[in-house]
Amino acid sequence: MTANKVLIADDEIHIIHVVAIKLRNNGYEVVAANNGAEAYDLACREKPDIIVTDYQMPLMTGIELIEKLRKEERTRDIPVILLTARSFAISPEQQESLGVANCLSKPFSPKELLKTIQDILYQRQLALEH
Amino acid sequence: MKGQRTVIGIATGVALAALLIAALAPWQGSGVGVGWCKGTAGWFFIACCVGAVGVIFLGVGYYRLTGAVTSIAARLNSNLSVTAGAEGPRVLRVVAEALNARAEACAEAVQRLQSELKDLQIRSQLAEREKRHTEAILYSLRDAVIVADGSERLLMANEPAARLFGFDAAGARHQPLRDTIGSTHAEFLELLQQSGRGRTEATRRELQFTQADRPHTFDTIVSCVQESGKVSGVVAVLHDVTKEKEISQMKNDFVSHVSHELKTPLASITAYSEMLVDGEADDEETRKEFYAIIQSQAQRLNRLIEDILNISRIESGLVKVNKEQASLTILIEEQMQMIRSYAEEKQIAIISPHPIVYDQVYVDKDMMSQVIINLLSNAIKYTPAGGSVSVEMHVDETAGLARVTVTDTGVGIPEEEIGRLFGKFYRVSANNKQAKGTGLGLNLVKQIVEKVHGGRVFVTSTVGVGSTFGFELPLATAAHAAV
Repeated sequence: MTANKVLIADDEIHIIHVVAIKLRNNGYEVVAANNGAEAYDLACREKPDIIVTDYQMPLMTGIELIEKLRKEERTRDIPVILLTARSFAISPEQQESLGVANCLSKPFSPKELLKTIQDILYQRQLALEH
Repeated sequence: MKGQRTVIGIATGVALAALLIAALAPWQGSGVGVGWCKGTAGWFFIACCVGAVGVIFLGVGYYRLTGAVTSIAARLNSNLSVTAGAEGPRVLRVVAEALNARAEACAEAVQRLQSELKDLQIRSQLAEREKRHTEAILYSLRDAVIVADGSERLLMANEPAARLFGFDAAGARHQPLRDTIGSTHAEFLELLQQSGRGRTEATRRELQFTQADRPHTFDTIVSCVQESGKVSGVVAVLHDVTKEKEISQMKNDFVSHVSHELKTPLASITAYSEMLVDGEADDEETRKEFYAIIQSQAQRLNRLIEDILNISRIESGLVKVNKEQASLTILIEEQMQMIRSYAEEKQIAIISPHPIVYDQVYVDKDMMSQVIINLLSNAIKYTPAGGSVSVEMHVDETAGLARVTVTDTGVGIPEEEIGRLFGKFYRVSANNKQAKGTGLGLNLVKQIVEKVHGGRVFVTSTVGVGSTFGFELPLATAAHAAV
């Protein structure tokens, strides 16, 4: 079975590093980007199963990335988890309208992130089967 | 009076003459004593006598009457109080008394009216003085004030209001508001009209106006003045809250930025710690790597907190300063070494300054290192890959100054934002996406150079070309060398 592919977008290299180790240790394939523009290009090219993106990044923010992903047919349906260090960065209404699967506040637990990814992919799998 | 006396005299003379003639005339053969009462002539004689006496009496009475009336008139001409006196007929005394009473009443009325007039004059003077005081207060206010009457005509506007809406305050008096304020401020005009129509006590709203080509926000309060249930006027006060909102927004942005900056290293510390606790670092090398990252992130967190605290301490004058004579070139070289790996990562070339013979300054070395690293770090942060950052130093021995510039080939800064660059929490909005920052770095540079060391910071920039940030410091003197 092909491993699920996760795209991580964050301008903090240590965050990418620790998340990548956690996910790879749990059987996921990981691709990484340092900014929103790079993340969009990677998403179109690699077609990940799920995207984990930071809220604030250079060149293109996490929100701008999600908006752009939703307009592109190839990436429209990829679930997205938003990481944010700001309180109330995104309202529940905005979350729903952008199709953000979940929001996690920094500092976050890698374990919690892993569980969130697993839950979202499981739900998606069930939806596809039905 | 003379004519009346003449008539009386003549009448008296005629009567006496008639009597004399009657007495002396030979009527029916005898004198007056015999035939004076007999015949037509005799009756005529009697009639003349009676008539003469009557005329005399009437004349005297008339004479007395006219005399009394003339006297009364003369007294009336001289004063309002008339006494009829004991002389004169009783009817005149009655008239005189009536006139007296009326004159007294008139005098009282005049006195009362004079008193009321004086009272009104005093009140008018007080009202005028109060009006001038009120106008002086209104005209001295920095807030814009507009007063309109119940017919929506301008009654009064102070200078800030005239400037805001672009009209001549004196010339616009009594003009319709819609002509004075104009259609470009339709929202404000409607607010005034609504207040007048709705008779609301006070309405408060934030309105946007353009002043000096910049949008300004005004906290606007409009209230109507009522008299006997009718709207007699509308008063509007506009307080410019643009600066307050900007400061509030900057503070909010700062708190948001700072919390983000603090949480970022904390996120790394938390994540790596959890990985270590959960045994996710398989080998010793990985564990050492994790420990090192935790340590560096903790230091990063500490630096940020220190920056915030330093600025606070410098501003409040509580910072501890350890000044000593130091070579500016060496300080610059040290910081360039620290930043070189960051520059290489971004493929940015750093060009060192030419060495200078005398470059001694009297500074707190740690603080000055902070200044240099902040300027270098900013230059690299905002320069795209492949660009360059060059550092230059000049010494003006005549002026006793050392001058350092850091020039980059970066994104540049819009001209309208240059004046605010060294402000606390300020970040160039166009460059927000280029790199992260708290908006504290340049403020700290300014505080250290100017407040602590008596120097000067400066900046020039062109969008799309690059920026030059720099500072000047006094050269160390012989006195400093002796310390």
